[in-house]
Amino acid sequence: MTIEALKDLQELNKLALTPAEEETVLGIFEQMERREKGLLSLNTEDTEVMVHVMPLSNILREDVRVQQFPLEDLLKSSPEHTEDSWQVPRLVK
Amino acid sequence: MRMIHTVRPDGVIAVDDLLFVKGAPTTAGSRILEGFEPLFSAEAVERLEKAGYPVAGISAVGEFGLDLLGEFSYQGPTLEGTRLVGAAASLVADGSVEGALNVDLNGTPRRAAAVSGVVFIKPTYGTVSRYGIIPCACSGEQVGVTARDTATAAKLLSAISGHDEKDGTSLPAEHYDYSDAGEIKGLHVCVIRELLDAASEEMRDLAEQAVQELKAAGAAVDTVSFPLVSQAATAWQILMSAETCNNISRYDGVKFGHRAASYSNIDELYINSRTEGMNLLTKAVILYGSDVLSRDRYLNCYDRSLRVRRIVAEETAKLLKDYNLILTPPCSGRDYHEYPIAEAFDRVAEEGVFSAIPNLIGIPAIVVNGIQFMAASLQENTLLSAARAVKEGSAR
Repeated sequence: MTIEALKDLQELNKLALTPAEEETVLGIFEQMERREKGLLSLNTEDTEVMVHVMPLSNILREDVRVQQFPLEDLLKSSPEHTEDSWQVPRLVK
Repeated sequence: MRMIHTVRPDGVIAVDDLLFVKGAPTTAGSRILEGFEPLFSAEAVERLEKAGYPVAGISAVGEFGLDLLGEFSYQGPTLEGTRLVGAAASLVADGSVEGALNVDLNGTPRRAAAVSGVVFIKPTYGTVSRYGIIPCACSGEQVGVTARDTATAAKLLSAISGHDEKDGTSLPAEHYDYSDAGEIKGLHVCVIRELLDAASEEMRDLAEQAVQELKAAGAAVDTVSFPLVSQAATAWQILMSAETCNNISRYDGVKFGHRAASYSNIDELYINSRTEGMNLLTKAVILYGSDVLSRDRYLNCYDRSLRVRRIVAEETAKLLKDYNLILTPPCSGRDYHEYPIAEAFDRVAEEGVFSAIPNLIGIPAIVVNGIQFMAASLQENTLLSAARAVKEGSAR
C-alpha cells in the first residue's frame, strides 16, 4: 500500500485522515498483508466460494410495502431538514 | 459507561446499542449516529418483550462493535477499576439486569462474558432474526444473549429464536426449544491445542478445570490440532472489513446522525461528517475493507477468503463428526486495559484466532466459566448441556 493509494481509498470512502493517522493505517495494512500470506498457503483452486454460511439461493424478497412511517417521523433523525425533505447543500448552481 | 439510556426502570434486559429499541437513542457507540432514534424495535427485542422480558435500557458498545470490549465507544469505555469490561456483561454480572441482547460480530460479547464470568450464547446463524440491528458484517454477525446462568440463557434464546420473514437469511423453523439440556455422559469433546498455546496461563487453567469437570461428568476429552484457526481469523477479518465498509457507507450526515458544522458543498458535507463522526478503528476497517474489494486485491483477498471459509467449514464439520463439542479459550486472557486506538485493529485481528470460527462459518458457541464451546449448527442444546455441567461442577 502506498500513500497515494491510501489517499485514493480515502477519497472513495469520503474520509480524510491526518498524516499521523495515515501512518498508522499504512502500518495496519502492512500487518494485514503479513497475515494474508497465511491464506496463500492454502490451496483454494478447487474450492468453491462460500458466500453464505447456509444454503441460500435467493435471499431477496418481493418489494411489498408492509410498513409506512409518517414523513415527519422519518425526518426526525435527520440533522437538517425542511418540512418534507432532507436538506443538503445546493448541487446545481 | 454501562447503561447509556434507561428505557424502563422496572425492565430486566439490557440491549446493546447495536439493536433498535423503538424511541430509544441508538448510536452503535458512534458519534455518526448521534441523535438517531429508531421508529421500530429489532425483532429480537420485540420477541423478548412479548415473552415478558421488558427492556431496562441500552448498554454501551464500542463503535459499531468493532473493538475488543467497547473501549472505543463514543460514550466512553466501561471500566471496573482499571480493567476493561463489556457493559452488558457487567450489568448482568452484578444483577442489574437478568440478561442482555448482544450482537456478536467478532466475538466481543463472548470475550465480555469471559471477562465478567457470565454466560453468552451465540446461536447458529439464521436462528435469530437480524432484523433491526445496525449491520456491519451481515454474513456472520448474529444476535445472542448474555445471562448469569445457562437456564436463563436457554429461556431468553428460546424466546427470540425462530423464523422471521423480515430477515432474508432466517432459517425456516418457526421455533427452537432450548430447554432440553441433557446429560453429557458419553459426549466426545476436543480441545484445540493451538488456541491453548496462544492463550494466557489463566485461560489455560480455566480450560483445564473445565476438562476435569467434563471428565467427571462422563465426557471423553482429547486434545487435537486444528491449525486453520489462524487462516480463519484472517479470512473473517477480511470479509468483516469488506462487508462493514459497504454497510457503513450509508452514514453520510444527511439522513440521520451527525452532520459536520463546516462544509461548503455536498462532498465536504460527506467527508467532514464521516471524518468527525467515526473513530480511527472504524476508518481503518472501512479503508482495509475497501482495499480488499479493489480490482487488484479482490482475487487474493476477498475471493480467497470466501474459499477459505468453505475449507474451514468443511474441516470443522469433519472435526465435529468425531467430536460433539470443541472446547477453546474464547480470548487470550481476562485482563484487558485501555490502550491507544492506533493499536486497535491489530489487537482485534490477533484476538480473532479465538473468536472467528463461529462468525466465519455460522456455527453456535457458548462461553461459560471463561471457556468456549463450539458445536455443529443447531446443536445449541448440546452446548447448553456442557455449559451447565461445567458451571455446576465448578460450583460444587
